[in-house]
Amino acid sequence: MGPLQSQVLLPERIAGLLGLSGTAGQIVGGLLGAFIIANLLLVQTAVAGPWAKRKITAAFTDRIAVNRVGPFGLFVIVADAVRLLSKELVIPDGVDRPAYDLGPLLVPFSALLGFAVIPMGNGIHLADPETGLVFAFAASSIASLGLVMMGYASNNKYSLLGGLRAIASNIAYEIPLIITAASVIIFTGSLQMSEIVAQQAEPLLTLGGVAIPQWFAFVNPFAFALFVVANLAEVGRNPFDVPEAPTEIVAGYQTEYSSVYFVLIYLGEFIHIFLGGALAATLFLGGPAGPVLPGFIWFTIKIWAFYLFTQWARSAVPRIRVDQFLDVGWKGMLVLSFANLVLTAVIVGVIA
Amino acid sequence: MSSQRETPFVTDDSQVQTDTRDARMTGGGADNRFNSKLRQAFGSSPFILTKFDQFMNWVRGSSMFMLQFGIACCSIEMMHTYSVKHDLDRFAAGVPRASPRQADVIIVPGTIVSKFAPRMKRVYDQMPEPKFVVGMGSCTISGGPFQEGYNVIKGAEEVIPVDIHVPGCPPRPEALIYGVAKLQQRIAEGESSPVTVKPYELQQFDDLEQDEIVEQLAEEINEEDLVMRYNWADSP
Amino acid sequence: MSLEEPTPDDGVVEALPTGGDEIADLLGDLVVGREEHMNAPGFVIRPDDVQETLRRLRDEAGFDHLSCVTAEEREDRYESIYHLTSFDDRQREASVVVPTPKDDPASQTAEPVFRTADWHEREAYDLIGIDYEGHPDLRRILLPDTWQGHPLSQNYDKDRPQIVTLKEWENPLADDHREEEGDTMYVNIGPHHPATHGVLHVKTVLDGEQVVDVDPDIGYLHRCEEQMCQSKTYRHQIMPYPDRWDYASSGLLNEWAYARAAEDLNDIDVPEYAQVIRTLGAELCRIASHMLAVGTFALDVYGDFTAIFMYAMRDREKVQNVLEELTGQRMMFNYFRLGGVVWDLPEPREDFFEMIRDFLDDLPEALEEYHDLITSNEILQSRTIDTGVLPPEVAKSYGATGPVARGSGIDYDLRRDDPYGYYDELEWDVVTEDGCDNFSRLLVRLREVEESAKIIEQCVDLLEDWPEDERTIQSNVPRTLRPDDDTEIYRGVEAAKGELGIYIRADGTEKPGRFKIRSPCFSNLQTLPEMSNGEYIPDMVASLGSLDIVLGEVDR
Repeated sequence: MGPLQSQVLLPERIAGLLGLSGTAGQIVGGLLGAFIIANLLLVQTAVAGPWAKRKITAAFTDRIAVNRVGPFGLFVIVADAVRLLSKELVIPDGVDRPAYDLGPLLVPFSALLGFAVIPMGNGIHLADPETGLVFAFAASSIASLGLVMMGYASNNKYSLLGGLRAIASNIAYEIPLIITAASVIIFTGSLQMSEIVAQQAEPLLTLGGVAIPQWFAFVNPFAFALFVVANLAEVGRNPFDVPEAPTEIVAGYQTEYSSVYFVLIYLGEFIHIFLGGALAATLFLGGPAGPVLPGFIWFTIKIWAFYLFTQWARSAVPRIRVDQFLDVGWKGMLVLSFANLVLTAVIVGVIA
Repeated sequence: MSSQRETPFVTDDSQVQTDTRDARMTGGGADNRFNSKLRQAFGSSPFILTKFDQFMNWVRGSSMFMLQFGIACCSIEMMHTYSVKHDLDRFAAGVPRASPRQADVIIVPGTIVSKFAPRMKRVYDQMPEPKFVVGMGSCTISGGPFQEGYNVIKGAEEVIPVDIHVPGCPPRPEALIYGVAKLQQRIAEGESSPVTVKPYELQQFDDLEQDEIVEQLAEEINEEDLVMRYNWADSP
Repeated sequence: MSLEEPTPDDGVVEALPTGGDEIADLLGDLVVGREEHMNAPGFVIRPDDVQETLRRLRDEAGFDHLSCVTAEEREDRYESIYHLTSFDDRQREASVVVPTPKDDPASQTAEPVFRTADWHEREAYDLIGIDYEGHPDLRRILLPDTWQGHPLSQNYDKDRPQIVTLKEWENPLADDHREEEGDTMYVNIGPHHPATHGVLHVKTVLDGEQVVDVDPDIGYLHRCEEQMCQSKTYRHQIMPYPDRWDYASSGLLNEWAYARAAEDLNDIDVPEYAQVIRTLGAELCRIASHMLAVGTFALDVYGDFTAIFMYAMRDREKVQNVLEELTGQRMMFNYFRLGGVVWDLPEPREDFFEMIRDFLDDLPEALEEYHDLITSNEILQSRTIDTGVLPPEVAKSYGATGPVARGSGIDYDLRRDDPYGYYDELEWDVVTEDGCDNFSRLLVRLREVEESAKIIEQCVDLLEDWPEDERTIQSNVPRTLRPDDDTEIYRGVEAAKGELGIYIRADGTEKPGRFKIRSPCFSNLQTLPEMSNGEYIPDMVASLGSLDIVLGEVDR
């Protein structure tokens, strides 16, 4: 295995290619790098949202789904995107602007911001601050603000209920999520993403000549499971899709949104799923590491695997009730995550 | 037919000339649903916009979100159309959205009665343009088997304009798929649909011309409430 | 026969008055006249004795089931008829007839005795115009508040213009629930809402996420079914309409309700062969209907387009294919005729039997899958067990029947208790569950599918061996049916949702003088406030799903 993580970050490399240096190089390189990473994600989301979601759900329910427009129905991505963007933007009476307009913007951008510190392999890594992990969590939680803005500003009772549920779920599950992530930090001793990834590249044990890397999912599967479950709640998928719950509160906080704003919310949700997948991959699955294929491909496979998992859960698992949802969060997940943290700390302390 | 009605439904053809009837006879005006400020600025059919128009028509005809909207018997067949075996989603038309704000097409699957018509109109009004209506089943064409009911609206077109009628009681899922495919084809080819003048507009109670009923209700109804008015004698 | 025969000469039951004279003795002075309905003795009482009479019949004669309230306008009077029967012995019936004068149609309400009378009397007020004194909330139920006139009364002007409002509803609890702990919020669930299974409107008051008050507002699909049936002839024209009452594929079950009432009214016999075919078709419909109930319940609890909903739809497709072979239609069968069925089984018969057997062979596996996905899922159990609790006494008071009653442990099934068709010749069991909650109702439906499959299998066996020269599908029925003037009958069958009763009063013509439908969903839906007050919104939605209402039948 070659070096998984090129130490040169994307902005520097772009600046180098363009022959720029100093502040100008940083600015241009940073902007271009952000542009490239954002587009990489938007393309994946475009595939995931209108097309893959239908195809995956259809596969779980014995159907075919889109197959008329283009090969495998792929052109439906274009059709859906343009159609939704070209629809009338309905601003209902009595909405609270500008909160009504800002909410949908916050959701996708907070998730995109989180991707700035995720190492995606092959040098696609925008920034690598020492507090990378904290930054990712902080950025992704800005979405909660957007959700509550949407729920409150829509002047719709279903939106309000959805917004409240969203905020409740984010608070209840963010804490276990971060505590579980902290148990990884105990191993690595660093919040820096590149460091976390690099540590996982080391072999855990060797079986018949094949080195099994020290991925934290192998080291501490319990923490991995906790993290994935908390992540499901964080991105609002079954059994935790309480904030949207179509059969209870219509569409939750997005009930009143149409056209562009709806696209933004939809986009935001999917980027959040991918961000959840990316965090899980980085913290527990060795980031972009993997045999044979280049790092970026492995990274993509890992976040799509997480996406597949959310869709699977959505097709097969019932939604839990809102009070049970909070019970699971506060009485179950929180306790377990703290137990995990303490246990990990003790074990690491004893071994080290 | 054994219907022993004492008075025929339309009492006198020569006198009853409602807007609905006019519109149905003449086919109504051209569809102006896609008219935008941009188009007004450019004039009627500028060159730049024609190719774009074709593209937009293709887009609208290739993918649509349906409103999750069930009324009566037909909604059962509609559910079958969405699900296994018939799978309307093959035509990129199988994503039911619960909120009207996010839907393009409303399939009206069943009988509309007086109490529900204002609500349905409200739901239709909440959908963003461009929006299309598929009338499913005989009830949305004429009231179907319940046409003679004292409470039944004689077709969805009395309330909202319908683009495609799918006859049947209820239509088979195949028929509904055909209807949706036909709608997609019409949209893709840029064919406009005749928009019927809607007699049962929601209006302020205060604006109503005074007649016996209005006077009787004057005390009970708040002037700011919206009302829908039914002239059963005038209904086709 | 594994069925327990209803035993009228059981110790307790024997002591109860059953015959007309015995009941008249019990009621004493309350009875001012006697009528003879074809199904039961009728007792005419004064308008202000309603509660006393019904209470005495309930407490002392064991008539604990107010099946239906029929109101009608006659030439010289208004009339409310209370159809009473007993949950323990369906074959004991009594009708209480309350005539009121034309100029002042007011009679005492029965609501304090039977809670179910609440909605039934509101409907009578709405459609006929009888005033029920002391009724807690006598307003229109099916028609809009602003409607002018009572459409089933005799001098109703059909061509009159009407105005219907679209107003904002107000929070009924706004004033008395404004305390320190928190305010209430009013939410309209429906008429266009994904959880209402059609066009039900539930006026909901929430305190946080909890439901403080629900008030189901129906009538958004009131298609004038009773008027339709009253303006058609008995012989052929009424039969297509029952298909559309409960349209969730219970067509044949509904048709049977009309067929049974009209056949008894006109004294028509049905050949045994046709009875077997009817039983076969009806049970197929029951399976289809329960599948839909399970599927939509999953829709409410899981979210849309989940696997379980699709699997339910897949299995419904199979049933519908069989039914289409049999009747020629997927949903609106119009297959029964008075005195039999319209045509014999499709040729070649072997293929048809094989088709059914294939379906039955696959069914256990499909049910296994359902149990895997639904009933053994712990999340679903935690959501449905002990939510939406409906105690048996409450269920009885509201006249709940069908899987809703059987999920509350009430052992009541018309197929066994008031046998019709071929049911009493076959081996099957009545399914009951004692949980009284959403889970029990779900379980009852899934287990009833198994019982229906058993019945179908036996029917197929019977039909396969039926001698070719005895395959009479219809008895001889006159071309026009004119039952005698003033004969009245109330007959029920066990439809997919419960007891579907039909009241017909003949007026000597070829059309019914009064045609009243007792819909099981109408009574079942009344229990919703009992089940969901104090619960969370998701539980309310789940309870609504577990009631399995079909708005076409609620509103008629």
